[in-house]
Amino acid sequence: MKSKTTLPFMIGIPALIWQALFFYIPLLITFFSSLLHFTEEGLFLGFTLEKMALFINPIYEKVWFSSFCLALSNALICLIIAYPLAYFLAFTGKRFKNILLFLLIVPFWTNFLLHVYAWFFVLEKEGFLNIFLKSIGAINEPIHFLNSLFSIMVMMVYYYLPFMVLPIYFALERFDHRLIEASHDLGARPLQTFRRIMLPLTLNGVRAGFLLVYIPSFAEFVIPELMGGDKQMFMGSVVSHYILGEKTASLGAAFTVISSLILLISALFFYWLLGYLFKPRKSNA
Amino acid sequence: MLKISGLLMVASTYLFLYVPIVVLLVFSFNLEAFPSPWKGFTLKWYYELMHAPYLWKAFGNSLIVASFSTAISLTSGISLIFYATQGGRVGKFLALFYANLVIPETILAVSLLGFFSLFSIPLGLTTLVLAHTVLGLGFVVPILYARFVELDPKLTEASLVLGATSIQTFFKIILPMLLPTIVTTGLLVFIISFDDFVLSYFTAGSSTQTLSLYILSMIRSGVSPMVNALSAVLLFLSSLLVLIYFSLKTRTRIV
Repeated sequence: MKSKTTLPFMIGIPALIWQALFFYIPLLITFFSSLLHFTEEGLFLGFTLEKMALFINPIYEKVWFSSFCLALSNALICLIIAYPLAYFLAFTGKRFKNILLFLLIVPFWTNFLLHVYAWFFVLEKEGFLNIFLKSIGAINEPIHFLNSLFSIMVMMVYYYLPFMVLPIYFALERFDHRLIEASHDLGARPLQTFRRIMLPLTLNGVRAGFLLVYIPSFAEFVIPELMGGDKQMFMGSVVSHYILGEKTASLGAAFTVISSLILLISALFFYWLLGYLFKPRKSNA
Repeated sequence: MLKISGLLMVASTYLFLYVPIVVLLVFSFNLEAFPSPWKGFTLKWYYELMHAPYLWKAFGNSLIVASFSTAISLTSGISLIFYATQGGRVGKFLALFYANLVIPETILAVSLLGFFSLFSIPLGLTTLVLAHTVLGLGFVVPILYARFVELDPKLTEASLVLGATSIQTFFKIILPMLLPTIVTTGLLVFIISFDDFVLSYFTAGSSTQTLSLYILSMIRSGVSPMVNALSAVLLFLSSLLVLIYFSLKTRTRIV
């Protein structure tokens, strides 16, 4: 009898074991290895906060600050572009909706390094953008777009945009369009309808999109390296530098732990802030 | 007025998305390598692409890793749903899987690398499959469970009342109803694993290359029209997959 009741559990458990073994235990190992203190021979000496303390210094504070700025500006730019686009996809673009969705997802489902590569052709000194600007007479000398904050930003927005559009689109798709008509009939101006009806009801989509962009952007290290020429240091680049370096793995772990804490706290703050900002309020329009 | 500015906005967003792709594709047919301007039409880069053994080795590795991690994450995800149908309270474990989307891949990848080196597990295809399956589970379990909860409980009850055992009900009623979601989620996980860069970068080791790692090494070594040709092929393949995904018309979310 006992085997019969435990059998479903035995069948269900591999997913849980896998998740514990290859997700939670590695994260815990990173956490503890940043706290443990070993001698050169690998003898355990005790706990230490020394490795953490190493990073409380202006150089690393600057790294976190730039990662924060990069992630936040990326999420905000994506939000500003994505909301109208998602609105158009959900309500206006009826006939072209499917083809537009298709065109949005195809690049998203293609290896992102190829997009980085594609942008080289646009931003190069003899690339498409310079040729285009020259031909309309906007510039005389080609501009160096690559290896700058500008090229990093362009690439970040390009890659992360679908992560913002799709959740907002799904939220708007479930949104009952009659609510807008009702609000209009009851005398609300378009802006009031947007602020009081649409924004609160699409909060979950915006929140999901914002976090889906903000969190990975914070730890991004490929785009800054390839588009920024490693001039700017971001959290992801420092982590990969330490982790892949000789004998610096435990320092890397300490840096990763502090960065994760900063990321987690800031993500929770934005989660709260979006809820606060989107709450329908009577006082302002 | 509002409508026209909306259209302009959408048009410029799509221009932003597709100008690089079109430029990239055009240069895959150019006789000479970039930055040379247009010199004439050629297919020689595609020919060269077909005869690049290292690239196809990396392509094969990516296929293997994506297939295995998709198969494992789907099977264990479906098994978890089976447990839920037999009275298991899966809902309370669900939050454990949401974390996969909240923790940035860079941090997971770095931690997995530490884990593998601590237990002296040699890096290679196995570690890639282990890592990518975790990524897959983060999508499979929440999506399948959400769809499972939405299923009409009356159908399950009817099946049980009519004398089917709960295992028969699972295989004859629940599994067929979940099938479209299983297929689309499988496609999603497959493509995410196939295109993944961050996890592969840290867990592949020095001797194994996936397609993403190969493309990175090619980009680092400079511009080659062969990468343009490869992009054309991969864009075509992902268009096909997206079409399949769309034609299965389910309510599965893409993100």
